[in-house]
Parts: sequence; C-alpha cells; structure tokens
Amino acid sequence: MTTLAWIRGLLARRTGRIASTAAGIAVGVALLATIGAFLGASKATMTQRSIARVAVDWQVEAQPGADPGTVLDAVRTQPGVTDAVPVGYGHTDAFTAAPGATTQTTGPGFLLGLPADYRATFPGVVRDLAGATNGVLVAQQTAANLRVAPGDTITTTLPGGTTSDLTVAGIIDLPTADSLFQQVGAPVGAQPQAPPDNVILVPAARWHQLYDPITATDPGAATTQVHTTLDHGLPTDPAAAYADVTGQANNLETRLAGSGLVGDNLAATLDAARSDALYAQVLFVFLGLPGAVLAAMLTAAVAAAAADRRRGDQALLRTRGATTGQLVRLALAEAATVGILGAVAGLVAAWVIVAVALPTSAAAGIGWQVAAAGIGLVTAGLVVGWPAWRDARELNVVGARRRIVRDTSPRWMRYGLDLILLGLSGLVFWSTSRTGYKLVLAPEGTPQISVDYWAFTGPALLWAGIGLLWWRLTHVGLGHGHRPLTSAATASVGSLGGTVASALTRQRRLLARGLVLVALTVTFAISTSVFNATYRQQAEVDALLTNGADVAVTESPGVVVGPDDATEIGATPGLGGVEPVQHRFAYVGSDLQDLYGVRPDTIVDATQLQDAYFQGGTARDLMARLGDQPDSVLVSAETVRDFQLHPGDQVTLRLQDGRTKQYSPVDFTYAGVALEFPTAPSDSFIVANADYIAEQTGNDAIGSFLVDTGSTDPTVVANDLRTQLGTSAQVTAIGESRRVIGSSLTAVDLGGLTRIELGFALVLAAASTGLVLGLGFVERRRFFAILSALGARGRQLSAFVWSEAILVTVGGITAGILGGWALSGMLIKVLTGVFDPAPSSIAIPTTYLAAVLAASVAAVVATVAVVVRRASHTTPTFLRDN
Amino acid sequence: MNATIVSCCDVGRTYGTGPTALVALHGATCDVDAGRRIALVGPSGSGKSTLLHLMAGLDRPTVGTVDWPAIGPIEALRPGPVGVVFQRLSLLAPLDVGENVAMPLLLAGTDPTEAHDAALVALATIGLADLVDKLPEELSGGQAQRVAVARALVGRPVLLLADEPTGQLDHESAAAVVDALVDAAERSGAALVVATHDPIVADRLDDHWHLHDGALDTGDSSPRRTTGAPPTTAPPQEARS
Repeated sequence: MTTLAWIRGLLARRTGRIASTAAGIAVGVALLATIGAFLGASKATMTQRSIARVAVDWQVEAQPGADPGTVLDAVRTQPGVTDAVPVGYGHTDAFTAAPGATTQTTGPGFLLGLPADYRATFPGVVRDLAGATNGVLVAQQTAANLRVAPGDTITTTLPGGTTSDLTVAGIIDLPTADSLFQQVGAPVGAQPQAPPDNVILVPAARWHQLYDPITATDPGAATTQVHTTLDHGLPTDPAAAYADVTGQANNLETRLAGSGLVGDNLAATLDAARSDALYAQVLFVFLGLPGAVLAAMLTAAVAAAAADRRRGDQALLRTRGATTGQLVRLALAEAATVGILGAVAGLVAAWVIVAVALPTSAAAGIGWQVAAAGIGLVTAGLVVGWPAWRDARELNVVGARRRIVRDTSPRWMRYGLDLILLGLSGLVFWSTSRTGYKLVLAPEGTPQISVDYWAFTGPALLWAGIGLLWWRLTHVGLGHGHRPLTSAATASVGSLGGTVASALTRQRRLLARGLVLVALTVTFAISTSVFNATYRQQAEVDALLTNGADVAVTESPGVVVGPDDATEIGATPGLGGVEPVQHRFAYVGSDLQDLYGVRPDTIVDATQLQDAYFQGGTARDLMARLGDQPDSVLVSAETVRDFQLHPGDQVTLRLQDGRTKQYSPVDFTYAGVALEFPTAPSDSFIVANADYIAEQTGNDAIGSFLVDTGSTDPTVVANDLRTQLGTSAQVTAIGESRRVIGSSLTAVDLGGLTRIELGFALVLAAASTGLVLGLGFVERRRFFAILSALGARGRQLSAFVWSEAILVTVGGITAGILGGWALSGMLIKVLTGVFDPAPSSIAIPTTYLAAVLAASVAAVVATVAVVVRRASHTTPTFLRDN
Repeated sequence: MNATIVSCCDVGRTYGTGPTALVALHGATCDVDAGRRIALVGPSGSGKSTLLHLMAGLDRPTVGTVDWPAIGPIEALRPGPVGVVFQRLSLLAPLDVGENVAMPLLLAGTDPTEAHDAALVALATIGLADLVDKLPEELSGGQAQRVAVARALVGRPVLLLADEPTGQLDHESAAAVVDALVDAAERSGAALVVATHDPIVADRLDDHWHLHDGALDTGDSSPRRTTGAPPTTAPPQEARS
C-alpha cells in the first residue's frame, strides 16, 4: 500500500524525474528493437537473394547401375519438389571444326541433352548470345576455341570413337557452369577447379540417339542428372532455410537408397548466406550496442541529477521511521516503474521508427523485443534502483543531505584500470589481427557456424579504455590546472577568474563525467558514420568491380571491334570516359585463364582501381609499370604460388595469334599480383598491356568497353547504348550488378540501418552535450541561485556557465574525434571480412559529422542560454525550498 | 534621528493568479532605520521570509512600494550595501570558505587579493579565520551559518537581513550565530532584521515586529507604522513564512 502510494506520488509530483529517466531507457530499448527489426529484414533479403541466385536447386545424379527413370520418379514424388527434369551428361573425346582454311580440335568435353521444357523451367542456366535459342547450342568459349558461328558444323567424337556432325544453331553462355558441372556428392575442396571449356547442348532426343547405344556397353560414357526446383516457401532466416533445405535433401537421399546423390545448390548458397547473416547480426549488434550503452549512461546521468532530491526524500522518510527494507522496496518500485514506462515507450517508438524508416515490411522478432525490454528493465534497476538501494543502506540522514564531497581520485584511477583496458585492447587487437579477423567461423565439414566474439573484445576494450582515459585526463588536468584555468578565466571575467577556476577544479568529477559522456557519444557517432560510409563506399566498389564501370559494353562472340570503336561509344552525350579492354584467354602452363589487356595510362579514366586489388605495389605503381615496361604482366597469387614466381621473372603465356589463329608463346615479365580487377572472375586471371598483346598477337580486338557516365544516370546511358549498338553487344549498368551481386553482406542495403543508427547517434550527440550540461546545471541550481542572490550579474553568471560548457563541449568533442578516429580504424580492421574488396581507405562522411557538430553546439548554446536566464531569474523561494 | 535604510509602503506580495493565488503578504508598511535591531516574528507561513526578501530586493512586491532611501535604487543593493543570511545553508559548495566569503566583493569587481584579505578579516571577526581553506561540506551547520554571516558582512552592509538563520541549528550553534550577527551589526552600525520564530533569538533583539497571516504589526500605532487592512478580493489561503 505504501509502495503504491509512493509510486502515485512520484508520478504526480516527480513527473519530470520519472519521465526523463524513462525517456533515456526508451531510447536504448528503441535502438535495440529497431536494430532487431532491421536485422530480421536483412536476413529475409539475404534468403530471398540467395534463392533467386540459384538456377537449379538440386542436381540429383543417378548413380552407376541405377535406373534414371526410377530416380526421376523418386525426385518428382519428393515433398517440396515443384519441377524435376532429366538432363543427360555425355562425355566427348573431342570437338572438331573447320570453319575456314584451318581445322580446330578441342580436348575432351561435354555434350548435354536438355528436354524441350528445360529452358522454361530453369531460365537462369542458359543465356543466349547469338543465333537460335534451341537446337545445337555451343558454349561461348567452345565457339571461340573452334572459331565457329551459327550455321557451322562441328564434328563430335564420342567415347569409343564414334563421330557425329552437329550444326551450330546458336552461341550461348552458361552463367552457372560451376554448379552445372559440379562433381555431385564431392566435398567443396574436391570440386573441379574450373568448369569444362568445351560444352555443347543438344535436344534430349538427339542426345539419346547418340548416347543410348554407347551407354549400353559403356555405362560410364554418360550420366543422367535430375534437375529440380523446390517450393521456396522457406524460413526467412538463412540458417533456418539452410537447415530446412538440407533436411529435405537428406530425406531424398535416404529414399533413393544409394541410387542417387543430391547436389544441393540451394543449400550451398544458403550456407554462404547464413554466414553473411551471422556477420550481419554481429555487425548490427556491435554497431548498435554502444548506442544502447550510451543511452543507459545518459539515463544514469539523468537519474544522478535527481539523486540529491531522492536522498532528501529518503532522509525525510527515515526521520519519519522508515526502515532500510522499506526504503529499498520503494527504490525498487521506482526502478520498476521507470523501467516499465521506458520499455513500453521504447517498443512503441521502435514500431513507429520501423514503420517510417525501413522500406521493407520489417518487424522486430518477439525475441528482440523481449530482449530490448529486458535490457531496459535492467538499465532501470542499475541506474535508478541500485543507487537508491545503496543510499538507503549506507547513508545516514546527514550524509543523505550532502551535495558535494571533497574530490578524490576514483578507485579505478588509482589502479590504472583505463591503462589496463587500453593495453588489453591493443593485445587483443594484435592477437586477433594475426588470424586475419575471421569473425565468422565455418569449419569445413561442420554444419554449425559460430562467431569469434573475441575479436570484438579489442574495440570494446578500446571504447571503455578511452572513456576512462578521458576521465583521468580531465580529472588530473583540472586538479593540477588551477593556475592556467585562472589565467584563462581572468582574461574574460576579470576578478572572478580565480573563483571560476576553483569551481571548475573542485567539480572535476562532475565535469569529467560530462566530458566523457560527450566524448563517447561523439566517438559513437564518428565510428558508426565512418563505418557506414566505408561500407557504402565498398558496396559501390564491389558493384563497380563486378560490372567493371558505371556501364560495361561487352561485345558478343563473333563481333570484332577495335579500340577505335571507343570513339563511337564515347559520342553518347554526358560520358566521362570510355576505355577499351581486351578480353582473351591465355594458357599458363596447361591452365586456361582470362587475360585482360588494358591501357595502363587511361584505364582509371573509366573505372576505379583500388590498392587493395593488387600486391607488390599500389594500383598507380603497377599501372605505371605496365606502361613503362609493356611486357609486364600481373597474375593471380595462385599462379605466383604454383609457378614460384619472383618479380622480374619471365613468364611465357600461350595466346591465340590473330594471323595464324594458333596458340603461340608470348614472353612477359612478372611484375605483380592482381587479386581483383574490374569484370575479372574471382579465380585466376591475368592483366597485361593491351598494346603489347596486340603487337605480339597481331590482334587488337576489344572484349569490352568500360564507360564512366560522369554525372549522367548509368541506366540512361545504358539504354542509349543498347539502342545504338543493338544486338552486337551486351550493355549492363552498375545498378543491375548491385542487384545480382548476391547475398554477400555488402549487397545488403544498409540504408535503413544507417538512417536509424545515424539518427540515434545525432540525437544522442545533441542530447549528451545539451543534456549533460543541462543536468549538471540542474544539479547545481542552488549554486547559481545563491550566486544570483549575492548579486551576480548575468555576465558573471554566464562566465561560470560558459566556462563549464566550453570545457565539457570542446574537450568532449575533441576527445570524441580522437576516440572516433582510433575506434573507426580498429573497427574497420576487425570487420575487414565484411568488406569485399577490403577498403584502401576509410570514408569520412563530412556532411553528417558537420551536422553532429552543429547539433551539439546548438544544444550547448541553447542550454547555456536557458541556464543563464533561469539563474538570473531565480526567486528567493527557490533558495528556501531547495 | 537615524536615516531610513529601507521603507515599505502598503506592500503586498501574491504568488500566482486566479483561484490558486496565494497572498503571502498584504498591506505591510514599515521603515527600518540605521542601527535598529528588529526581530521579525511570527509562526511558519506568516510571511516573514517574504517581507525580508522584499527588503533585500530579492523579490518585487505585487502591490505597494519598497524604497532604500539611504542606499539608492534596487540595482545598488547587492553586492555590498545589503547583506543577506539565508534560511538554509547557502554556501557555494565547490568554493572554500575564503572564496565564499570573498564572493560579494569579487562580484563587485574588487581585486582578488583585496577580496581575500577582506574575507579573512570578516572571518576573524566572527572567530572562524582558521576555517578559511575548508569546504562547506566540512563545516558543521553552525559554522556554515556563521560563515554565511561573515559573507554578509564582508561588503560592509548598512542593512543586514537574516532569514531564520538558526532554524536548523541546535541551541548552542544558534546562540553563536545570533551573537555573530548582533556583534557584527553593532560593530558596523548596520541595521539588523532577523526573521525568526524562535523566542530566544528574538529576545536578543530590541524590536519585535509580528506577522500573522501576511499582516505586519510593528507595535507602533501611528499610521506610518501600522499594517494595512487585509484585501477584500482574495482572502489569504496560506501565507508563506
């Protein structure tokens, strides 16, 4: 009953204290709940994108001796399967063609037999490049090797020596060749390094004509796979979807009882997505957690501002006979009231923010909501309940009325906790940096993935250590800085200078608390915004790397254009630059790799080359080397390792000569390693000087043009070029690449999260500066009231207020910038795995940071103005009643 | 005849407006002359503090006028000519005793060294010079209130006002504070007005003015010295002390 009466009294007469503390808790709860909602939406996006990327969900291979028809029936009757069609995989010994004066013969290859409805069922498997869309379709590289075009004839040599002539109907690309030609049932490490070079697709009836007689005597000459699509009504979480799909595949294999193996492409893609999802979860929580901690610290500051009054209430209750137990109960009741109000307000705010800020229909899962509310309640217990409980147990009536105690060093300072934390942070950072920051651990052969939270300990310790270090520096600086403070204050307020300095010195604990809060908030705003900006920058780089440039024009097979055609493309209005890039194939030993011939001096006019793409020099250095020494070549790290290359070594590649059409040796000099290159595949490739290649091969044919659209919308330019070039080239704009990059984390649109986190950071920055100062002044209303009663003029009151405001704000912002710089660097280093490619430099969002600074300064000016005004108009009744 | 330091003419003070308006003081008319020792007595809520704050220029009357013929306009009252000792502990917590006492002089623009010396003198006057480096939190209630007296004296006031200066002190401490006030007033020749409900404190002073429900009775029947009639429009609900 007493407790209820006390709560009613608090709500009615301590409304400001309850509301402001609950508001602080609400901020933390809302932040966590909105992050939960965004995380849920992001995971769903990852799952959807993963599913969309998979052309064939399952490839069920009939095992030797098994009846393909039985396997097909089993797959079709498997729950969850929506379509299943048989595909014949026939081995060939060679393909031969004689389109001109010379005869071209390839090595072994594959002849695939596709049913009539295959392309409609699996539209992502085959991409038409030239000629007809059905009949005998030749893969692009095979067509290049044989130099055939639609209408030409290819002689196929089948196992056993039988030959058959096929008339080319069209040229196609196989975008999913890696999975299409996977070794079903083999572990990841045992998969072929590259798909076959020689592939021809034929209608199923023709395939059976060719292979049925052969497999009757040689069953190993061909296999049959059942390509399958599944019902995509999967859980939105990639991990749950992965578990679901894997379970279905295991069930089918059990039913097949050894007659078939499932190549689970969908699970393989979801497997990557669930790692990304775990990354996302860690990332979002780690970026959001400091915000929640800051909100809790601000709440504690709000609660501390009311501590004197609460202690006064307790002292009064004690004089009226209240026991310690009763006081503790009342304290806990107040904490519960504040916690419940804050949690409810926070969840409501999160709901509104999600509805307004997130483009997708995201909603925080119940788990996140409960966790956020729980954290709110715990925060209330810590910042409201615990101090009241401590005071109730420890303070006597006289002690409860004390407002200030002689400032001694906190115990943690005497033990050097800040320095210990910073040292540990450096140690952990150094330790984890040696492992390459593998945050998400997915051991091969183990279905479970986990997060290496240890790596996050470094930034967390740095954050805490920096905060305490600023506290120490402020405390010590103010403690020993009376003389310089006096000089500084005397310059502006004359004879009051020494007194102002004394007030600053003796209130150093309060000022240190305020300065640290401001510093940590600015640090949070900087580290969050820098990370988000760098993330956006790398997402753009990723898209640029995939597409090659704002717009890429890829010539169709059989279309031969030279570098001068760049002029024709460049005639499109509004373009920044057009760069021709040769695309060939070259043999490195027996390995066929993509070769890109570039113009080193001008390549950067159309695309970006980051230092992170190369080893052995910066992008600028290596391009300069290609220009100065035209026979220089950049190869993959794998090639360097396989062939034990050292800078300056001669590398002999075999390139197709434009005159003889034969592969001939061309000498290059190894100059460096190319890890990434615009439009290049993720595996091995070669970059060389285009002029040198043209000179050595007698062929300057261009594979693609990279187009910088300047300030013009790439989509508009792409559409113009499509109209201009017709079917002779494939034109892609960067936006299309962004959509198809896949489920990698940088492909997730962080726009919503960015808005939420940066919004919270801005609010916290303004609140911390304004609120911290305001609360500090509220705590010392009596100080200013007495000063005013003693006859202090507005200018003199301002001197006291401004001296604190400048110290806390300028000191806090400066410390925050230093801390933000250090933390951003460490965060980006620790989260390197999130970025693909790794950033060469961090991105600094100057506009946002200027807004944070402006908001903080505005909050300070407004607070100081209000405080001075209120102090100047303090009524004597305040002195009597407070 | 002594000069009049402060003169109140039909002064009233009402807090708030409308039905919740609170009339703390009404129709108070009085003069405080130099050298007088006045105890402003009355029960809690009778309007003692309100009248004292009006005399100190810390508050403005809602009706009537308050003048300080021997000092000048209200802006000239502080820091200096009017010293006030407040009801509750009123030392500036972050400043030591010396800085607290010197504060009125510093606010008036006195050189810090001179202000500190004057503070030492004021503290020595009431026997607290050895506390100059202490912080307020390190003082007893009686010591703190005597330091507040020293602070009120340091500007050499012509009017010393004390609002329940012993309200939270034991008898011994209260006696010390009143001694300090009376001695200081006698030494400086300042007029002294002490609001109190403690008869022992009041007995130390020459004149007793009584306040009851916001009405002042100075014990003088002449029209100039008597309180006015209570207002007829808004009867006092609860007068403040």
